[in-house]
Amino acid sequence: MGSMEVKEIKEQILTTQNVCILPEVEDNLETKEMILNMGPQHPATHGVLRLVLRLDGEEIVGMEPHIGYLHRGIEKLMESKTYAQALPLTDRLDYISSPANNTAYAIAIEKLFGIEAPIRAKFIRTIFCEMARISSHLLWLATHALDIGAMTIFTYCFREREWLLDLFEMTVGARLLTNFARIGGVRCDISPEFVQGLRDFTKEFPSRVQEYETLLTKNPIWMERTIDIAQISGEDALSWGLTGPCLRGSGVDYDLRRDCPYDAYPYLKFHVPLGENGDVYDRYLCRMEELRQSNEMLKQLLDQLPEGEIISDDSPDFVIPTPPRQVEGAGSAASAFITLSKERKMINTGDLYSAVEVPKGELGVYVVSDGSGKPYRLRLRTPSFVHIAAMPALSVGHMVADIIAIIGSIDIVLGESDK
Amino acid sequence: MKIQKLIRDVLLIEWFRGLSVTFKTMLVKPVTRLYPHVKRQPFPGFRGRQALVRDPEKLKERCIMCLRCKTVCPSNCISIEVGKDENNARVLKEYSIDATRCIYCAYCVEVCPVNALVLTEEYEYLGDKRSDLFFTKEKLLSDWDEFLTNYPGDSYFNKFWRPPGMPEKMLTPQKRNEKPIEIKKKNEEIAS
Ligand code: SF4
Ligand code: SF4
Repeated sequence: MGSMEVKEIKEQILTTQNVCILPEVEDNLETKEMILNMGPQHPATHGVLRLVLRLDGEEIVGMEPHIGYLHRGIEKLMESKTYAQALPLTDRLDYISSPANNTAYAIAIEKLFGIEAPIRAKFIRTIFCEMARISSHLLWLATHALDIGAMTIFTYCFREREWLLDLFEMTVGARLLTNFARIGGVRCDISPEFVQGLRDFTKEFPSRVQEYETLLTKNPIWMERTIDIAQISGEDALSWGLTGPCLRGSGVDYDLRRDCPYDAYPYLKFHVPLGENGDVYDRYLCRMEELRQSNEMLKQLLDQLPEGEIISDDSPDFVIPTPPRQVEGAGSAASAFITLSKERKMINTGDLYSAVEVPKGELGVYVVSDGSGKPYRLRLRTPSFVHIAAMPALSVGHMVADIIAIIGSIDIVLGESDK
Repeated sequence: MKIQKLIRDVLLIEWFRGLSVTFKTMLVKPVTRLYPHVKRQPFPGFRGRQALVRDPEKLKERCIMCLRCKTVCPSNCISIEVGKDENNARVLKEYSIDATRCIYCAYCVEVCPVNALVLTEEYEYLGDKRSDLFFTKEKLLSDWDEFLTNYPGDSYFNKFWRPPGMPEKMLTPQKRNEKPIEIKKKNEEIAS
């Protein structure tokens, strides 16, 4: 009796959890599909992604990504913090390119409250965004190539990435979780040494990209492993909601930096690289070209960098207004804050969606303000989350060994998808 | 095209190109450090272990118990207990930072009106137990002494006390007039 119940419960659990259900057994079945759990501790899944693969021999016939192992409730946490306080949490989304996330959040809040950042701050933010793009793409290239079997490229990419991280540290005191932007500006100004360091980097970097390309682009093994793998057409990519290099690899010309420019992008000249086939190889070529384009942008930004303030007068204080900014006649610090907030329209009500192009795609911030000084609801549209959803469509019909090439090519960060 | 590709494949041209990069790199100096033997000095303003500044004149903490750091801290890791002394004046009874929760954002350093708090450039610290990373007031003050003793240079000024480029009107008077803390003098005072 007891064993029957256990069996029933087991079946129930299996069906309700929607773990890939085994196919109906036929009478004269010769081959059997196999279920393989990949991750969450597999080093090639770039974090804690779990993939349940349904295999027929070595071919993938079905796959189901399971996410959520890194869920920290960032959206909910942000609702319990003031707008300025919530900013460090955005670092923890895509921890490889945190300045880009900070900027996305800061721009959304600035738009909501009508704050305008000074021009120098905008340029500095864009410099950091582009540096983040390069460092994120370098990490992607390092791990992607390592997964496929090109070992040495890993060390080369980290050598250049170290350079950029040092520049981050020089300016803001942290290498990874920079927490650099501020609503209405940036936290601290860049120094002449930083500018010099970045100039040296931009001078040296194109030759380094050339080195990576020598190692990979025409390498027969690399081409065998990447060409025609995980092909996706432009329409399919659009309907799956892919953005960033994954979309441009399929030939869809869409880049928010050019199509709805923010910060200092209107002042820059650059071209958006496109692929043709939408396979792993094209996405690789796109990102390699983006590395060069970002480097060009950094040069232009440094040449055009204007002088001036780095923070807007309307920028909200972290906590209570410091004495010189306090409002006359306010009874206490708390009431001063509210008066000041009202003055600066910090307790506007309304909602807004704003998106920027982060290295992995489009990072959207949807924020609803009810006038309390804290977001009523904050929703983050993170590219990795959307890209993981498209993984089954990309991988069915390929071999098990191609899975790691596919994970690498869509460039996911689990901190971002699980939030 | 086909023939060209065949020749390339047979002669392994791409392979040798790739290998040439690898061999070239073998001749340059390694960029890695032998970490525990060779230590890297972080850049000024690195956000590391927390410490409470000991005032060079009064030899006690500078904190005025305004609770700003506690209010701003995004991870609620600072706790402050204010008491009264015999003259009925406010004194800082306890000040603690739970370093296991701290996210090293340096907001507390930036809002403190009297620069009583600092994230030092010390990055090698760990504990076997949770309580090792729960810093009490004494621990925070002794961390500061330890940090200054080991600091290379004559004076110390934390970047977030007055972030470069921050306009004057957004700073408190003390933050505007803060001078770098002389280290030599301070060490002697502690010794005597
Ligand atoms: S650095 Fe940030 S998290 Fe840490 S104590 Fe200061 S305010 Fe809190
Ligand atoms: S902000 Fe500074 S003075 Fe105020 S309680 Fe914190 S450490 Fe003390």
